[in-house]
Amino acid sequence: MSGHSNLPSSAMLQPSALQRLGRAALIVLALLFLGGFLILPVVAVFAQALSEGWKLYFESIRQEDVLSALRLTALVASLAVPLNVMFGIAASWAITRFDFHGKNLLITLIDIPLSVSPVVAGMMYVEVFGLHGWLGPWLSEHNLHVIFAVPGIVLATVFVTFPFVARELIPFMQAQGSDEEIAAVVLGANGWNVFWRVTLPNIKWALLYGTILAASRSIGEFGAVSVVSGHIRGQTTTLPLEVEMLYNEYSFTAAFAAASLLTLAAIVTLVVKKMIEVTSGVHALPEEEEVES
Amino acid sequence: MSIQIKEISKQYGSFTALSGVSMTIEAGELVALLGPSGSGKTTLLRIIAGLESPDSGSILLHGEQATHQNASRRGIGFVFQHYALFRHMTIFGNVAFGLRVQAAADRPSRAEIRERVQELLHLVQLDSFAKMYPEQLSGGQRQRVALARALAVRPKVLLLDEPFSALDAKVRKELREWLRRIHDELHVTTVLVTHDQEEALEVADRVAIVNHGKLEQIGTPQAIYDRPASPFVYNFLGDVNLFHGRLLAELSLDKRSDNMEEPIEGVIGFVRPHELEVSRDLPEAQKAVLASVVRIHAAGPRVRLELSIAGNGRSVAAELSRRTFEQLALTPGEFVFVWSQSIRLFDDAGAASLLLDQGAGI
Repeated sequence: MSGHSNLPSSAMLQPSALQRLGRAALIVLALLFLGGFLILPVVAVFAQALSEGWKLYFESIRQEDVLSALRLTALVASLAVPLNVMFGIAASWAITRFDFHGKNLLITLIDIPLSVSPVVAGMMYVEVFGLHGWLGPWLSEHNLHVIFAVPGIVLATVFVTFPFVARELIPFMQAQGSDEEIAAVVLGANGWNVFWRVTLPNIKWALLYGTILAASRSIGEFGAVSVVSGHIRGQTTTLPLEVEMLYNEYSFTAAFAAASLLTLAAIVTLVVKKMIEVTSGVHALPEEEEVES
Repeated sequence: MSIQIKEISKQYGSFTALSGVSMTIEAGELVALLGPSGSGKTTLLRIIAGLESPDSGSILLHGEQATHQNASRRGIGFVFQHYALFRHMTIFGNVAFGLRVQAAADRPSRAEIRERVQELLHLVQLDSFAKMYPEQLSGGQRQRVALARALAVRPKVLLLDEPFSALDAKVRKELREWLRRIHDELHVTTVLVTHDQEEALEVADRVAIVNHGKLEQIGTPQAIYDRPASPFVYNFLGDVNLFHGRLLAELSLDKRSDNMEEPIEGVIGFVRPHELEVSRDLPEAQKAVLASVVRIHAAGPRVRLELSIAGNGRSVAAELSRRTFEQLALTPGEFVFVWSQSIRLFDDAGAASLLLDQGAGI
């Protein structure tokens, strides 16, 4: 082992034995951490879910309450995600293509759901729409139920997933610039044509990426939904809430079986996300601008 | 279609991009807007296109008020510095775009679109590229596609924003000759923004020189080159030797010219390198200065001398034909006499200009 082996220049070219050892130690440490804190728990979820065998696993999943929680989760996601896609596109379009007063405020506001605790988000909705809230009395007069009903759950989920699409699109659209859109306008295209023929095809991968993130979060959201849901079994219980309720009732196998569904959803999300990254180059290093052939 | 620009002003915060610019561009003309970066030439082009709106003043297209008309209705073709091709569309799709987005009533049939696109791709010599994507093309090819795309909708005005500046020197030269040929074929009113004076002088029918948001001079390339209206224009177009008034006085500025009653303080004189004459002997009836040869650049069609004026050491450039140079057989370090038949003078403000062309010595 050479005493001078840790010179930066030689370090880049020829790692010494000590450096190789250090590198191996770091990798092992990272793997141990990953195994202990990520992989082991995921395995534990499935192990616990299947601990009483496949038969009981499927029976737990096929319980009416779990199925209805699954349906509600799907319903909420299918409402919250399109709303967020629309908002995300509108906000990113406005922020990256136009100059207006309050633009920085809007950018800051978009981030609020990321910094506010979901529980607080849920409580805000209770304060506004709850029976003793600002709009509650008026709503109940008209027989409209928001809190402890599906609309409240959708609202809370929309709030929590608000930033995902917009935050994905804004940097992407900023980097892309508006030259192509201006070119389309000069060529006589109206706003509709510009959006469908130029903007959307250019942002589709970033949009899909953001949508996947938003969908994944809206399926798994617990805190905000927990406050506004009221935990009415079979009516206002989403899958994450159902997991908690089963667990609190000591139905461990059923709780883990339901949890395994959420875990599966997360794994699918990760795979799809990775596929988008690979096929589209979203989140890859930006291509170097070619100056000349 | 003619373009009338009337008293256009534009302010960005405290920065004045344009102040009171007026000019008229005749139908079928190719005019170059030439100026350094930040001079306001691109802003003016974007105002003509309708991509920016002026704070005051008006734009008339073919005699009709267009100042507040939407860019998509002005019937213009625009070519961008960085091409701005639609990256997810084929070359065919790019060129066809302007036709495809027309309102259903005006839109040509599919067959007509196909025919028109092929005609244009032929014009820009990219017939076989229809199915490729922009990223598969070189910069020069992309800019030709951009031009075909702009021409597809038969614009009445073609606007080009530094279209060749991202290309290398050789491609740039080819493309500008080619642009001129296309212009001669189609006769569409064209405005070209550029900071490259060679490009402007070579391609345009008339050149408009813009500086600090103002129009300095507009005229044919020859008029602009031979009779610059201001010190800025002189400096901007090609190499120039600059003599300050004090220097002129020391060298006893010739008073024979009718325009010069008495020496004026604070005068600036301009002489282009090729206007300077160099000899070993003191010329008769000429006032000349003594200078030493500092350096000789003999690579190229003309020989360039770097001279240092004896006494004050000011550096002066002279350009000789190869023949003259060979006859003189100069070597660095030698002393020569330098004079000029003409010198163009401006006062301090650059307002008045006098041309001393009757044997004024420097």
